[in-house]
Amino acid sequence: MTRADLVGDLRAFAAATRKEWRILRRYKGSFLSFVFWPIALPLAFVFQAEAFAGGREDTMAAFTERAGTNEVAGFLFVGWATYMWLSIILWGPGTSLRDEQVRGSLEAVFLTPASRLVVLFGPAISQLIWAIWIFLVVGAALQIGFGVNIGPFEAARGLAVIAVGIPALYAIGALFASVVLRFGNVNALVQGVRGLFTAVCGMSFPIIVLPELAQRVALALPPTYLIADLRSVLLAGAGLGAVIGDLAILAGMGVVLAGLAVLAFKRTEQYARRGGKLAQY
Amino acid sequence: MGELRQESRAAWAVARKELQIFLRYRLNAVNQVLQPIYQTLIPGILLGATFAVGGKAVGLAETAGTTDITGYLFLGMLALTLCTAGFWGVAFSIKMELDAGTLEPVWLTPTRRETFVIGMTIAGLIYAVITTIILLAIGVWLFGAELVGRLIVAVPILAIVSVGVLGIGYLVGAIVLRMREANFFVDATDFIVVCLSGAAFPIIVLPWFVRWISYLLPTTHALDLMRVSALGTPPLLPLPLEWLMLGLTSVAFLLVGRWAWLATEHRLRVAGTIGQH
Repeated sequence: MTRADLVGDLRAFAAATRKEWRILRRYKGSFLSFVFWPIALPLAFVFQAEAFAGGREDTMAAFTERAGTNEVAGFLFVGWATYMWLSIILWGPGTSLRDEQVRGSLEAVFLTPASRLVVLFGPAISQLIWAIWIFLVVGAALQIGFGVNIGPFEAARGLAVIAVGIPALYAIGALFASVVLRFGNVNALVQGVRGLFTAVCGMSFPIIVLPELAQRVALALPPTYLIADLRSVLLAGAGLGAVIGDLAILAGMGVVLAGLAVLAFKRTEQYARRGGKLAQY
Repeated sequence: MGELRQESRAAWAVARKELQIFLRYRLNAVNQVLQPIYQTLIPGILLGATFAVGGKAVGLAETAGTTDITGYLFLGMLALTLCTAGFWGVAFSIKMELDAGTLEPVWLTPTRRETFVIGMTIAGLIYAVITTIILLAIGVWLFGAELVGRLIVAVPILAIVSVGVLGIGYLVGAIVLRMREANFFVDATDFIVVCLSGAAFPIIVLPWFVRWISYLLPTTHALDLMRVSALGTPPLLPLPLEWLMLGLTSVAFLLVGRWAWLATEHRLRVAGTIGQH
């Protein structure tokens, strides 16, 4: 790859980002949705937690012991904010490819000399903006509604954890994008995987309450580490040094998954190009 | 009488068509059954386990009058699937007809406009019943929820609340026709109604002014009556009043919903915008 190729790919990447952002801005209703869901979804679980606590001290003590914090609202809001970000990532690259397929523009895009990675990760930046937005809404809701104060240092540590988690999560999204090229519609598969993450990764509970086998499954999935570390640095005041082991595992998972995703995408693209299936849906 | 029979046949034909489309996408159909389990039940049960003392949900006993979290949330899922029937059963169908450009030709048939919504709601209620049966079977197998025998009382409750669900269907249909791109609105309202009905938590934990909105929903009373019968929880209102509220709110939703639907249909017909999407 020459320097000119790299500069060209970077320009294509910027163009893909601008295009996705412009499309997102066109649908103003989605802004409303990105204010409503980050508040409404965790709030329902906060009410549920209140019902389970029943205003008793022993139930709250049990929660604090298992969750490692007594901030019930913070615990749930951080968990579900991560869930929403994860949903955007899981749907993102695959949906973007699928949209291009349905509009009939995918074949035309693949005829350009831009790297396929640009096509795959072009929408990532605009999705990252949504992720930051979700965490901002959650932070504001926690401060205004529940008096949970997340200071600039905690926020910076949270951003560092998110940055370490990005490769692993985007790689999972890219794996789904490969499945889109191979099989077309993957809504049910994405829902199923998101369901697995919801059931074992600890969005609304500490994984310690899971049966042993489910705990092992949880520890093999990147979102488990991301959620636990975000809670530690945002709510329990832990420094990055305290979660360095988890972050190393998360980074390692990112490297392995990104390698797998690139390989799977190349293979699937070859299959689709040779079989003339890029435009089929 | 002849007209009623024809309209009933038309409603059944619409319901059959909707079910046929639903069953074409098998993975989506399976997902629709599993979704309440992984999105509501499992996170709820595990959150409950986080607050458990000595393996018992003593906190839930204070707020809901039972320590059986599984049974409590299982019945909550029933309200969720019922609401989904009213909201998404109708919203999806009308949106699909709008996008495919078939709504206008369909409305040129001599069938009454209300009959289409009745057919769509019947299809939604059929998925809801099938989903509930499968969920109960899974519940009995996995968690040992001993609810089935005590759920006989659910039959008249479901019959009455179906009237209210039809009313919700009419309202949602009218909103989709007016807004055209109403996915967020439908999704958000469905979520709010499910929460306010007490599907995931007893409404006693809600602020008092929000609780009053809950009392106006037929699904709140239907769910509470089922929980009283199956789990022995204390009722929200004295039982005769709760049955009365179930009937009154169901009929009120039907009347308001039907009025909104007919008014919207008239407005779109006069403006000539039925085919727009």
